[in-house]
Amino acid sequence: MLAFELTVQGLVQGSIYALIAVGLTLVYGLLRILHVAHAGLFTLGGYFGVLITNATGSLPLAILVAMVVVGVLGILVYRLCYQPILDQPPYVALIASIGLFIAMEEIYRLVFGPFGISYTDAPLTDTVTLATLNLKQGEILTMVGTVVLIGGLAVFAGRTRMGAAWRATVTDPAMAESFGIDVIKVRYLNFFIGSALAAAAGVLVALLNNLVEPTMGSVPSYKALAIIVLGGLGDVRGTLIAALALGVIESFGTIYLGTILDRDAIAFAFLIIVLMIRPQGLFGRA
Amino acid sequence: MLKLVDLTVGYGAFHATHGIALEVRAGTVFALVGANGAGKSSTIMSIAGHTEVHGGCIEFDGQDITHLPINDRVRRGIALAPEGRRLFADLSVAENLMLGGYARPRAEEAANRDMVLDLFPRLRERLDQRAGTLSGGEQQMLAIGRALMAGPKMLMIDEVSLGLMPKAVDICYAAIARLRERGITVLLVEQSTKRALEAADDVCVLESGRIVWSGTAAAARQDPAVIEAYMGLAGDGAHG
Ligand SMILES: Nc1ncnc2c1ncn2[C@@H]1O[C@H](COP(=O)(O)OP(=O)(O)O)[C@@H](O)[C@H]1O
Ligand SMILES: [Mg+2]
Repeated sequence: MLAFELTVQGLVQGSIYALIAVGLTLVYGLLRILHVAHAGLFTLGGYFGVLITNATGSLPLAILVAMVVVGVLGILVYRLCYQPILDQPPYVALIASIGLFIAMEEIYRLVFGPFGISYTDAPLTDTVTLATLNLKQGEILTMVGTVVLIGGLAVFAGRTRMGAAWRATVTDPAMAESFGIDVIKVRYLNFFIGSALAAAAGVLVALLNNLVEPTMGSVPSYKALAIIVLGGLGDVRGTLIAALALGVIESFGTIYLGTILDRDAIAFAFLIIVLMIRPQGLFGRA
Repeated sequence: MLKLVDLTVGYGAFHATHGIALEVRAGTVFALVGANGAGKSSTIMSIAGHTEVHGGCIEFDGQDITHLPINDRVRRGIALAPEGRRLFADLSVAENLMLGGYARPRAEEAANRDMVLDLFPRLRERLDQRAGTLSGGEQQMLAIGRALMAGPKMLMIDEVSLGLMPKAVDICYAAIARLRERGITVLLVEQSTKRALEAADDVCVLESGRIVWSGTAAAARQDPAVIEAYMGLAGDGAHG
């Protein structure tokens, strides 16, 4: 039964990785930019989650506001930081993104203080027993929320006219434009959705750890980059699978290798090994 | 319908055409022929807004569209079936058609789709299939169908027959004839002059970015050697 518990714990962590990494892979797929500052928006989502819950007592409201506000900020990041340098070589956007990420962490430090913030009355901390499994309500919310959000994204992308326009723009922006699709609006949509999902991940992490701090995005940012490489850059399905796999590997690793390597080291060892064997990613064609 | 005036287009410092002038009359089929590298695609893609214009202007329906944003051109009535088809390969046939009509009111979609499927019944059986898995001929049909979904006044088809089986070429040219009957203007690009001369009202031969012959297709059919000579001069050595 330990294996089952470890798998579920891994899926909880993997869900968080999935919510973060999807936005990153969407941005890469559309613009070929490694959007490092994405993790800064994740952190901001966490702050909104804690601060709004503390102020209003409503976690659902906090999630909603965090997603919408951070989604709009994601559009601004594109408009102000990336759009002006789109015709430059890719490393220019990468450097801008890293700079922005560092700036965001410093701004959070100045605005919210260098120490962590917690919920005054942490919600969803009760433990639920499902068959043999003990799970915190927050962990259940993380998994259910991820399924709902990613499922919603899949329906939007796969079943709606705008979703089809979005996928077409990823395939061939020039042709999409020739058929009247406004590719700038598609980019806004892309950044809104990716950033809103990262914000949701931020709120959930804040819930699971009962803590937000300025640097909480650092490790997820490296891991999410590695995950999207693993999943095949720009490949949403591959990214989701890689995120969940990484969560489960970490979960087992901490039990069986925990004395030699810590959780993050296990994750990176796994990523390095996979990329040595399959540099094109888990599902990419050679 | 379409007028190119002293049009020079290109890429950075390179000119792909050198001040070409031509006029496509409304309701006719116009063939732009010439050897590989003559500048046919560059010309078509400049009308669609993708290739930079270095000089001259493009008039469509009496208005100067030289610097119009790309996504406004389809709303003015210009639709494109580009070289290499450039379908949305991961999307289904149905989705490709739907996006072809993206600029039109949704209320027109069903009727336009019926019109396209009536023109290319082969696509009807393939609606749920990924566009990338179609045969070459089916892909060309879909590329033309996708463009027709935009309800264009003028349809541009780059390389109608390139790489297609003879049967698929027949289907595409039959469709072009039917579109002409319905009053849709067609600007087509061909390397195979024979088919183009049969289908067209007017013809223009491009060589190294310059127009070296233009006139009616009837005149060209009378004396195909003239055109063949220009094509031959441009060095493709093809017979036909
Ligand atoms: N994207 C591009 N960048 C630079 N040069 C190009 C590009 N596309 C075409 N050319 C050049 O423009 C000229 C005309 O090409 P093109 O218009 O494709 O000819 P055609 O369609 O008649 O075969 C050729 O010399 C070709 O090499
Ligand atoms: Mg060409």
